[in-house]
Amino acid sequence: MVMPGDSGEEAGEPAGIGEIKARHEGHLLSMPGVVSVGIGAGPDGTPVIVVGLDGSRPETVPKIPGEIEGYRVRVEIIGRVKALPPGSRRNIKP
Amino acid sequence: MNENLDPLRQVLRETRLDLLERENVVATGIGYKLRGGERTGALSIICSVVEKVPEARLTGRALIPRELTGIPTDVVETGVLRALQARTDRWRPAPGGVSIGHRDITAGTLGCLVKASEGTCILSNNHVLANSNAGVPGDAILQPGPYDGGSPATDTIAELLRFVPISFLAPEPPSGCAIGNGLAALANLAARAVGSRTRLRAVRIQAEENLVDAAIARPLREADLRPDILDIGVLSGVRQGELGLPIRKSGRTTGTTTGEIQQVDVTVDVDYGGGQTARFTDQLLAGAMSQGGDSGSAVVDAGTNLVGLLFAGSQTTTIINRIEHVFTALQVHL
Repeated sequence: MVMPGDSGEEAGEPAGIGEIKARHEGHLLSMPGVVSVGIGAGPDGTPVIVVGLDGSRPETVPKIPGEIEGYRVRVEIIGRVKALPPGSRRNIKP
Repeated sequence: MNENLDPLRQVLRETRLDLLERENVVATGIGYKLRGGERTGALSIICSVVEKVPEARLTGRALIPRELTGIPTDVVETGVLRALQARTDRWRPAPGGVSIGHRDITAGTLGCLVKASEGTCILSNNHVLANSNAGVPGDAILQPGPYDGGSPATDTIAELLRFVPISFLAPEPPSGCAIGNGLAALANLAARAVGSRTRLRAVRIQAEENLVDAAIARPLREADLRPDILDIGVLSGVRQGELGLPIRKSGRTTGTTTGEIQQVDVTVDVDYGGGQTARFTDQLLAGAMSQGGDSGSAVVDAGTNLVGLLFAGSQTTTIINRIEHVFTALQVHL
């Protein structure tokens, strides 16, 4: 799934990572517990593919590759993503 | 300053009820007398008034004495004093950042105003203004939302105009769902019979991918809407969200919070409750800067440029639609 104009537009994002992510995200999202796949920045600012999990998922983590077509993959536990319903706790520190 | 305020307190105690009964006076207190806008060293009893009127036009009791038992007085104009309004209160006119909702939901956030060919409209989420596809144009939109006490009879501020339908993934069948598995088996048998290489599986069926959770509502009276967003002000333009961009939002539940775009190009599965999940692509992801009820908040950069529309999140993240997709899908602009 190549999306024209998808890559190389944002500063610091070399051509290709958008397409590479798009090609692999269907497979990644089919793994138990994977809720998101996006593009973030590594510690040195280079773009990385970020895979979000709904929990610790010890059975899924080893199946996620550390690198996809030359781009590093970072795994983050972000929890279940919900359309924000009201009525929950108030007051968060800005 | 260690000035002894006791004599002033004594006089204020004796006179404040009388002062507050006078026309125009809304508060009394102790402070330094001002002269020509500059603070003098003289302590005085200060009367705050709604509007300062030239002495010549004041008669009798409306005129505050220059001194009270030897203590000088001062008069300052403060306007009408109001208790600070909560975002879950009724606001007329209503700014962005306060409670709103379709009559059949709980409550979300009034994002901002946008222009459609039909006129000025309220922008928020489909799941706030259109009850996650269940609403129909013309449905009552309440400010505050029903969860915050809004009622259709007295608090209808707008009517649903249009929304971008959310395409949900087919619900995951419970494990061991005999009918689902049976149907899939039958269909696969049929597929094999006709030589199709595509096999049906009794798991989620991929629906269309979504770009936005967005809707607009048309106010009953444009005068009921304020052009600004609480704590943020009036929007000046739009800006494309990019990695590392500092952002902020003004929402019903958590007020004004700040964050940073940590991921772009995000594909994410969002839980809408009731077993319904929808997949969104090309989303922006920020850290924890929202909670339930903040849905529909406008997300802006460090200035007043609109970047996105907040709609989902987890304990650690906030998910934001790109504003350019919102505007294209709804055919609106600032």
